[in-house]
Amino acid sequence: MGFASSAIEKLGPAGLVLKAILGSLLGIFLLIGFIILRRWYRARYFRRRSERTFALRTQWDDIVSGKIPLRNWRLDPLDCEIVESILLDGIETATPQQLPELLDCLRQSGLIDLRICEARMEHGWKQRTALLALGRTRAVEAIPALAEALDSPSRETRIAAIRGLGRTARREAAIPILDCVVAGQLDVPEHALKNALVNCCRSCPEILLSYLEQSRGPVRELLARVMGELASADLGEELLVLAADPLPEVRASAARALGGTNTSYTLPALHTLTNDQEWFVRLRAVVALGQVEHLGKIRILLRSLCDTNRHVRQRAAWVLAQMEPHLQQILEDVVASKDDYALQTFISELERSGAIDKVVSKLEVGSGHESVQAALLEVVEAARRQVEMTGKATAAAAGTP
Amino acid sequence: MLRFLQISNDTLFVYYLLSNVIYFGLLIIAIFKNVIHRHRLASQRLELLKASPFTPPITLIVPAHNEEKSIVDSVQALLRLDYPSLEVVVVNDGSRDLTLQKLQEAYQLQTARLLYIADIATAPLRTIYRSPVEPRLLVLDKEAAGCKADAINAGLNAATSPYVCVVDADSILEKESLLRIVEGVFSDPSQVVAVGGIVRVLNGSRVVHGELQEVRLPKSAMEVLQVIEYLRAFLVGREAWAGFNMLPIISGAFGVFQRDLVKQIGGFRTHAVGEDLDLIIRLHRHLQEKDRPYHINFIADPTCWTEVPTDLKSLARQRARWHKGLIDALWPNRDMLFRARYGRVGWAVLPYMWIFEFFAPVIELVGYFTIGAALMLNVLSKSFFLQFLLFGYAFATLISIGSVLLEEMTYRRYNRRRDVARLLTYCLFEHFPYRQLTMLWRLQGIWQYLRGDLEWHEVKRVGISASSLD
Repeated sequence: MGFASSAIEKLGPAGLVLKAILGSLLGIFLLIGFIILRRWYRARYFRRRSERTFALRTQWDDIVSGKIPLRNWRLDPLDCEIVESILLDGIETATPQQLPELLDCLRQSGLIDLRICEARMEHGWKQRTALLALGRTRAVEAIPALAEALDSPSRETRIAAIRGLGRTARREAAIPILDCVVAGQLDVPEHALKNALVNCCRSCPEILLSYLEQSRGPVRELLARVMGELASADLGEELLVLAADPLPEVRASAARALGGTNTSYTLPALHTLTNDQEWFVRLRAVVALGQVEHLGKIRILLRSLCDTNRHVRQRAAWVLAQMEPHLQQILEDVVASKDDYALQTFISELERSGAIDKVVSKLEVGSGHESVQAALLEVVEAARRQVEMTGKATAAAAGTP
Repeated sequence: MLRFLQISNDTLFVYYLLSNVIYFGLLIIAIFKNVIHRHRLASQRLELLKASPFTPPITLIVPAHNEEKSIVDSVQALLRLDYPSLEVVVVNDGSRDLTLQKLQEAYQLQTARLLYIADIATAPLRTIYRSPVEPRLLVLDKEAAGCKADAINAGLNAATSPYVCVVDADSILEKESLLRIVEGVFSDPSQVVAVGGIVRVLNGSRVVHGELQEVRLPKSAMEVLQVIEYLRAFLVGREAWAGFNMLPIISGAFGVFQRDLVKQIGGFRTHAVGEDLDLIIRLHRHLQEKDRPYHINFIADPTCWTEVPTDLKSLARQRARWHKGLIDALWPNRDMLFRARYGRVGWAVLPYMWIFEFFAPVIELVGYFTIGAALMLNVLSKSFFLQFLLFGYAFATLISIGSVLLEEMTYRRYNRRRDVARLLTYCLFEHFPYRQLTMLWRLQGIWQYLRGDLEWHEVKRVGISASSLD
């Protein structure tokens, strides 16, 4: 070795290059060696795991019922890992009758306690894995450990905690999340947060109301967005309060929420929102009207079809184009409005939904007054040509590339 | 003369060393990023994302020009993607073959007079078609503008979703790839304006009705070398640059963008040779000028499989075109270089692209001449030259093997031992003689650009339905 380095020294500046060559070659051999070893190790691990999974699966009912003593599998790390993963997968698809038995097995084997301990004591990926596993257990005793991790300085850990809490899909898990959110102490991606809240509040959306009252600004918008997905008729007038909120995002969410509530106040409230000054609130109200089962919505949608915003017009037309038995009447009303934009948008959406042919053939063989129908048919054909021309005209106006 | 040769050689050595050291740095960063991402994936449940009411609708824009061989399978595969709210807009860009007819037959297309507002200028639109059997499909038939960008812009005009995903008609997306790429948007929807996924080589794999059945390494050496190139470019280069929000390109074969933002900057630049690179640089420019916080993301697990050239002529054309695209995107944005307002993009990634991408073939060629001359004139010691050559080769090979390792540690798409062994073996040939060939093709690209030849020279393709194990 001494000889080699003294030889390199003698080479002068070229010695450095030689060292670099040797370093690179060593690197190449190490990388190749690592790849080969890793492959070998993984193949061995998965083979062993597969064998043990098969063995444990053959005794599965006895393991869950406790007939097979815990010490037979609990002390072997691989067996323990396999049993836990089968149990967690089982919990996710279990019926309410199967769930207690699977949870009991997790509890009695101490696997939940072990995960709680890891979630509290460990750091990094081990802690995050424990948090996610705890979430999958859906056990109520897992919630405090998950909630504690929301305060973690690591963003990745907080994300794991929020996902874990979301997986529990329990009302109890929503409370620590909401406390943190309203206090402005939770920095996690909005999407993960919203999904967790939707899962946890699904059976109890009213829990959001008190937090909505306390919150301001972006937090209020976020909670309203969640509420928009969960609201039911039970929430009653609370939604009307949100529909009059000064924040447009909240009003838009209220519109979405109202879409899922077929009550007496739904239609008037959505009607008001279709006149909102913000286009996206109007758009959301129009979309929500699509879900409402009341023919009174046609009048409102016809007005939205003449909206100043193109997206609102298009969505209103889309909703109207889905109302199959009433299409002819709607078409007559649209023609009567004498709004070319509205007519073109409606015709375009009828084309998109494929309903145009039915409308046209009904007009051709219809039972109404012949001259009126012929005139209507003419207007429709003219509008169809106009729609086609509009595309070409806007392309021309934009200039050829 | 001797002094010139000496300075030239020193500069070349420093350049070569620097280029490899930077790439090595990128490899280290990419390893860390990929490993973290892999861990993150463990907590990600795609079925939850799919069921989430907050998952936004996406419009897939598929520009198609003379794609009769693969268009039906491609569209079929896209419509089968696992995504809750999907719209597919195929833009037939004046195909001279049976692309449109094949689609008409397969989806019983009917003319639909839909409102089409051309927010972005495109070549004239002939007809819009809808399918009564597949309501999610819309086909735009337009006159050819001679560039892919124009077709994408037409798709952007027709798209109804807030996010658009541009996919090549000759590529295959993995079934969950859209859900996976959208996860990249959700890391921060207010800031993430575009996300790129990885593009992998389809050749050699088994495809049935536009769906990838089995991943295998292609048989020919040239295709395997391209596999290694793709692995290095995506898993190392893009992953690392994206880590610092300096991603210079999202592949035109697979990327998700905020529709309104792309429209705001005028869509894809028509007649840009490399419209994908050009768009991302313009996005950086626009957002930096507006002083808007943003992130252009790259995620390595949503995968798009694409056909790569199988013959030397097509490969040469493709590489020449890529290099033309590079100049074509860099030159109009040269004012971004070393300007404080463009931040790290102006100070790091653009200078890197000019020096180590654009000038690389020129410098390499000059190097061969000056080093040759220096050797003949004894300005350079032969042993030192040989050692440096060997070092350069070994170091570059180390990086190539590093990207194969990265693949092994993370996504492991090539599962057969034989495939991995072949990948490792071909790493030894990537830097000689393949690299020298690509240098020539890139020089050809520069020459074509200087001559004003910006044509999209056609690349011969087999068609995805023909890809198979045999």
